[in-house]
Amino acid sequence: MILLESHNFVIYNTLAEKVAKPSSLDVVFVDFDGVRFHMSTPEKKTVIQLSMNIRCWDELAQYGALDVLTREYGSLITAATEPEYNVTLQVDLEQLPAEADGREAMLKSISLMKRNVLGAPFELAFGEQKKLEDSGSSRGQLMQIHYRDEEAIYIQAASDRVTVIFSTVFREETDRVFGKLFLQASEFVDARRPGIQNAPPSIQNAPQVLYSNRDPPLEIRDLPGLRHSEDIGYVTFVLFPRHFAKSDASFNTISHIQLFRDYLHYHIKCCKAYMHSRMRHRVSEFQKVLNRAKMEAATTERKTVTGRTMISR
Amino acid sequence: MSNSLRPYLSAVRSTLTAALTLQNFSSQVVERHNKPEVEARGSKEVLLNSLTISRNESERVLIEPSINSIRMSIKIKQADEIENILCHKFTRFMMQRAESFIVLRRKPVAGYDISFLITNVHTETMLKHKIVDFIIQFMEEVDKEISEMKLTLNARARTVAESYLMAFDS
Repeated sequence: MILLESHNFVIYNTLAEKVAKPSSLDVVFVDFDGVRFHMSTPEKKTVIQLSMNIRCWDELAQYGALDVLTREYGSLITAATEPEYNVTLQVDLEQLPAEADGREAMLKSISLMKRNVLGAPFELAFGEQKKLEDSGSSRGQLMQIHYRDEEAIYIQAASDRVTVIFSTVFREETDRVFGKLFLQASEFVDARRPGIQNAPPSIQNAPQVLYSNRDPPLEIRDLPGLRHSEDIGYVTFVLFPRHFAKSDASFNTISHIQLFRDYLHYHIKCCKAYMHSRMRHRVSEFQKVLNRAKMEAATTERKTVTGRTMISR
Repeated sequence: MSNSLRPYLSAVRSTLTAALTLQNFSSQVVERHNKPEVEARGSKEVLLNSLTISRNESERVLIEPSINSIRMSIKIKQADEIENILCHKFTRFMMQRAESFIVLRRKPVAGYDISFLITNVHTETMLKHKIVDFIIQFMEEVDKEISEMKLTLNARARTVAESYLMAFDS
């Protein structure tokens, strides 16, 4: 599994299960970036209430998250939000579409809740880019989404592109070095685009990636509150209209780019786990070599004439 | 094996074999104590001259003999940040398991990456030439292992980056 999924597996599975066999339910679970979900049946077994808490809700609401939610879920959104959560959906299992395809699509769309909320600023930026292109002005507003404690996404539209900047913190020295290696590899993939025969053609359409360690890129350099330390990295994606002109391309791009930070850190962890198992193997090999040096004690079983075993005490 | 590695390892091997002439020797300072003199450094007369074998400026071996123990420290090649981390992780991993690697020291000597301490008890209970074999094989394989890890890391980074960027097109 190299790529991460953008939908929430727990939501999807639980709903599918409850559609088949409704029963009472009360679960709390989490998704990436400290997003919390609460799924319960407060009144009836067939009415499932799903609430979500996301850290940067205020910022997202400001960038049109509510409009996106209304577009996606319409009447499912309840006016009374559960306390401690930011948004609540009410799914009546009896009113889901009857045919299998429609129901499947519905469940899928509900499990994409986090993706849709976090996708709002991206959609806004894509729309803004189109406006800027028509009017000919150069740069749109810079949107900041502080989706983790010390990490943020910055999105800015320009007349010919949308720039997305991720700031990411590496907790450990090893993480920092591995992260740097991974990000330089993405730059490298990027750099070898023209003129290399065996590069897969689809890579040529990928957005441009730039990585800077410590120093924030020009676009966000003037923002207050940025850290200038060794353990922070900034990754810039430059999205061109071909990434979001068509609606399915734009859907795909949003789902995919949101998970960048999780993807990067997930693979850093995988890499460390792999190194660890490899070292374990190698060390046990060394152990065998050293064991060869030990002198063998006489281990043959000694027996008396009558067949009893002799034991030395 | 590369050209300069062979003489380096054979020099280490013969020096180590020559140095491994240990005998039981009680402490001259405290009665009924028996300590590795190379660590205790209780008296000067039981310490022998230490010796450094260098392959190049970043790879060397320090052998410190004494009457009842020798200490051997290895500096492993580290060309860049990644090798530095991999080497550190690997040696740390081994040293945490020092009790099962009887001759391994829990901490390296300053300026080196990994140290071994061989006492007369080890040479009496284990085969001397096999201990030397172990250390030589360790030196041979640790470089190989680190460069292999670095290669797989690079390959993995490339694959990960490629598959992420490729997914933008689908």
